[in-house]
Amino acid sequence: MIVERSHAPLPATPLVELRAVSRRFVKRAERHRSFQDLFIRLLRGRKPPQDLFWPLRNVSLAVHPGDSIGVIGPNGSGKSTLLKLITGILEPTGGELYVHGRISSLLELGAGFQPDLTGRENIYLNGSIYGLTRAEIDARLDDIIAYAELGDFIDTPVRHYSSGMHVRLGFAIAIYTEPDLLLVDEVLAVGDAAFQRKCLHSIQQYRDRGGTLFLVSHDLDAVQSICKRVIWLEDGEVQADGAPTDVVMAYLNHVAQTEQEKTRRAGIPSSAEIENRRWGTGKVRITAVELLDTDGQPSKVFYSGAPLSVRLRYVAAEPVANPVFGLAIHHDSGAHIAGPNTRFGGLEIPRLEPVGSLTYTIPALPLLEGQYVISVAAVDSVDSETYDYHDRRYPFQVFPGQANERYGLISLGGEWRLDPASESSQADPALEARRPEAVAQTRS
Amino acid sequence: MTVETSSAQQPRRSPSPIAVVAHRLAELFRYRDLVRNLVVSELKARYKNSVLGFVWSLLNPLGMMVVFTVVFGILWPNNQIEKYPLFLLCGLLPWNYFSASVVSSMNSIVGNGSLIKKVYFPREVLPIATVLAQLANFLLAFIVLFAVLLIFRSNLSPWLWLLPVIILIQTAFTLGIALILSTLNVFYRDTAIVMEVLMLAWFFLTPIFYSIKQLPTHYPFLGMNLDVHRIAYIVNPMASLVNMYRDMLYYGYRTDPDFFFRTAATALAVLAFGYWFFIRYSSRFGEEV
Repeated sequence: MIVERSHAPLPATPLVELRAVSRRFVKRAERHRSFQDLFIRLLRGRKPPQDLFWPLRNVSLAVHPGDSIGVIGPNGSGKSTLLKLITGILEPTGGELYVHGRISSLLELGAGFQPDLTGRENIYLNGSIYGLTRAEIDARLDDIIAYAELGDFIDTPVRHYSSGMHVRLGFAIAIYTEPDLLLVDEVLAVGDAAFQRKCLHSIQQYRDRGGTLFLVSHDLDAVQSICKRVIWLEDGEVQADGAPTDVVMAYLNHVAQTEQEKTRRAGIPSSAEIENRRWGTGKVRITAVELLDTDGQPSKVFYSGAPLSVRLRYVAAEPVANPVFGLAIHHDSGAHIAGPNTRFGGLEIPRLEPVGSLTYTIPALPLLEGQYVISVAAVDSVDSETYDYHDRRYPFQVFPGQANERYGLISLGGEWRLDPASESSQADPALEARRPEAVAQTRS
Repeated sequence: MTVETSSAQQPRRSPSPIAVVAHRLAELFRYRDLVRNLVVSELKARYKNSVLGFVWSLLNPLGMMVVFTVVFGILWPNNQIEKYPLFLLCGLLPWNYFSASVVSSMNSIVGNGSLIKKVYFPREVLPIATVLAQLANFLLAFIVLFAVLLIFRSNLSPWLWLLPVIILIQTAFTLGIALILSTLNVFYRDTAIVMEVLMLAWFFLTPIFYSIKQLPTHYPFLGMNLDVHRIAYIVNPMASLVNMYRDMLYYGYRTDPDFFFRTAATALAVLAFGYWFFIRYSSRFGEEV
């Protein structure tokens, strides 16, 4: 294990370089935490079996000045361990780690604030935790105070700050330390929306000034919009390292596949639970419900914009006239999204054969990413007798696929049109007066 | 999607232990402003929270002086030490500095766990700042000591200029112990409980409310003849330190050079070991706290 750190970047050298770095942890329960335990262990005279795990295995990567790198991956994939190794909070178990340059991390804003001291005093304390000298903090003091928007509160003990003020001050100090490498871990999830935008803007400005950025986030959009390179970490190993769109796409495909396998395996809830969500007279029994994908294969995972078919198999003990079959699609949140049935669909069934199946086909699934569940039912023609009802028993999942809509539950399939300025828009002088720059642009 | 490595660099070897220590010391020096800010904030926080502020830190040793004077001067009338309150204070103040430093620094790493898990800085700044804040308190308490000195018209040593050096020796010793215990406490959380008993024993084994001259020079033990007086001196650096303070302020004596140098050497050895011990294990603090 070799670790080398310095506070100044070296010419023609990466700021951070990991060569085959691994990190091992001993699971907490196996450790002795007191002299008492140690003593008992010595008396017993044997070593407890150690339960080891490797949050990072054989990771190699280099961060060059000016890079903006996003790190993605599921929880427990080793992202935080990686950040802690780079900052120096943890040391690697094996491999080589070189860090040259000053690092600030936005791991926890305001960590190390002393509640009895004023905001101003805490700027000095926190700044020196980041490794700044008094003179360096003096030079940045006014900027930090202005950025944090604390006004007169700057000379009030931090104890009396709201959580928002806390975060603003913490972020202001971190961003104004002007580190060679800025580590950001899910920090965009703090504060109110306006301050989040300001943070994001500051991080982008820092990047545009040539600052080096290492961003860990579950927000794939943020990663793609800020970073020029993305690393996908999973099971402690680098799965992919490259252009944001490629890596994010590969990651999403992998997530979809894993989900698909998981739902396929975990499959159906317990039979008792299912029976509780089924009722009806049984004149017609729905014996099987299948969700079919593009290729007509049963699946639980679908993509927005791709076909989805629902096939119901039924058995009718006696001849039934004019039955109505229907579906209900619910979102995970409980919202009832659609309820197609054979009558609405114009399919009259004067006399039902004893055995058969019905298929409802959605040519292009308008649902957006999320969890959904289907109910099926067979009722009589006037909806007075329920033959069979399966209430919310068939879950499925929708992934974005090729669709690029992201907000809400469904895609309305509408179209946008941009009209160039015409006489009619100039006819509204009030509007034009308010937007003189628009006029200038149009005329130039 | 390739993994970038700069092939221009040759593989490097592990640095030598001396280089490691030198690097750590340079790192510590870089963070000297952090040490100062931590000391200042600790003192500020302590004095802002109590109405009497720093007057408390002066009243505390005075109160203890009164208690011990009543116990050993009045309830225990065969006490032959003259100017007993002054004698007592010369031992009590250094002991308080030592004991408060040990107790508060023991928790300096574990108590700042959330910070240690989130930000990197040389971890030794925490026990160092704790001890230095106690040193500041100790120096303030000299106001009380000098007032008592005036009242009793004590004969000061002509070698009084050694006093700062003695304080420095004690600080080195205290820091060494603080570094060891703050590390131990990370791995064995009952260190504090064990130390509570040990510190009480240490207090009684140190000649604070009695004179080391009262200890027997001959004590039969398992057929041997133990010189308890001499053993107490050699084994317990705090005994030597307390005696050196008394030589300066109470006896008006130049202090014995052999004890002076031996204590200084012991203190430096403890500090060196404590620092080595601390940096040996501090890289694991991030996962253990």
